Amino acid sequence: MSTLTFDATPLPIRDDIAAALPQVWARIGLPGTWLTAQERVAVAAESRNARFCALCAERAEALSPYAVHGEHNSLGELPDDKVELIHRMMTDPGRIAGHWYEFLTEGGLPETEYVEIVGLVACTVGVDTFCRGIGIAPPPLPEPQDGDLSREAVGEGYLNRDLAFAPTLDPFVDGPLQKEFFPGGPPSAAHIRRALSSVPDSQRQFWQMATVLYMNGMQMRDFSTEYRAITHAQIELVAGRVSAINQCVY
Amino acid sequence: MALLRASGEHTGDDYDLSAVLGDSGKDSGIPHADVLIRLAETAIAYDDAATAAARAAVIERMGEAALVDAAAIAANFNAIDRVADAIGIPLEDEKAAVSADFREELGIDTFGRASLAAAAE
Repeated sequence: MSTLTFDATPLPIRDDIAAALPQVWARIGLPGTWLTAQERVAVAAESRNARFCALCAERAEALSPYAVHGEHNSLGELPDDKVELIHRMMTDPGRIAGHWYEFLTEGGLPETEYVEIVGLVACTVGVDTFCRGIGIAPPPLPEPQDGDLSREAVGEGYLNRDLAFAPTLDPFVDGPLQKEFFPGGPPSAAHIRRALSSVPDSQRQFWQMATVLYMNGMQMRDFSTEYRAITHAQIELVAGRVSAINQCVY
Repeated sequence: MALLRASGEHTGDDYDLSAVLGDSGKDSGIPHADVLIRLAETAIAYDDAATAAARAAVIERMGEAALVDAAAIAANFNAIDRVADAIGIPLEDEKAAVSADFREELGIDTFGRASLAAAAE
């Protein structure tokens, strides 16, 4: 049972959104691949808390954000390295740098947990932003559920370590996850589609959300048909404005 | 941005891509750009009062279904931008090539990580 529902809004929420987002939200409260349910819910909570952080506000104003040191205003449920990741991702994502990724992961934050946290923060942001956009309150956090971690590991031979800071599934290697995530082969593996793929369930959860909020790859490039109540141009205008504010080049 | 330009090429429209940088969008050539931009800006800025006004404007001009889809797009990109930047995802070579002109013209090449190098000089 999800704590997210669209029953109270009079707006015509599309069926695919009404089906997918509550599932995505509920999964935050389930045991993850490398993080417990309690940790996953704590990540979502810390994501919401980050905008109140004085250190993050100071860094966001600084020309050199990595020169500003101090302690985050955190909820106290997660260790410092995870709070650092969540807060940077929430408050200054465009200036995340490779040396910072290496600092965190070489300092003890496993790459797998880093990627799972990125996926959780993204799902929290996506759900919360959609709710605010349509005028309903962001949902209560899910209750953490009992269970074991899946520990679904991706073998090193299936990973590419040259594309990004974090490892990603290599679409040029033949494997079951490649077939699942890139069914059209390497041409269907846009870089962003590879981003969370080293933690497969994070990939599944994020794209369950993203596909209904945006469009699938075919729809995105089919300018002869409008798949939404706004046109392709209007969609890309909104996308571009949000990405400009976030200082995202991708 | 590349898809915005491509959609205009498909319909024969010459959109002003600079609308994404923060002007009103009224001269962008995209219908209702002004209210859509306002919704995008406010929905990601935790400004509930301003978002309510932007929401009302979108509904009045474009209808409720358009509001839902515009909010969904804003939500998606508020999330996916963070994924791209936290993982360090680079532009594909082909996308970089077709967007080089407007990225330079609009100053997009100085966004985010690129600004760190500039600040260090």
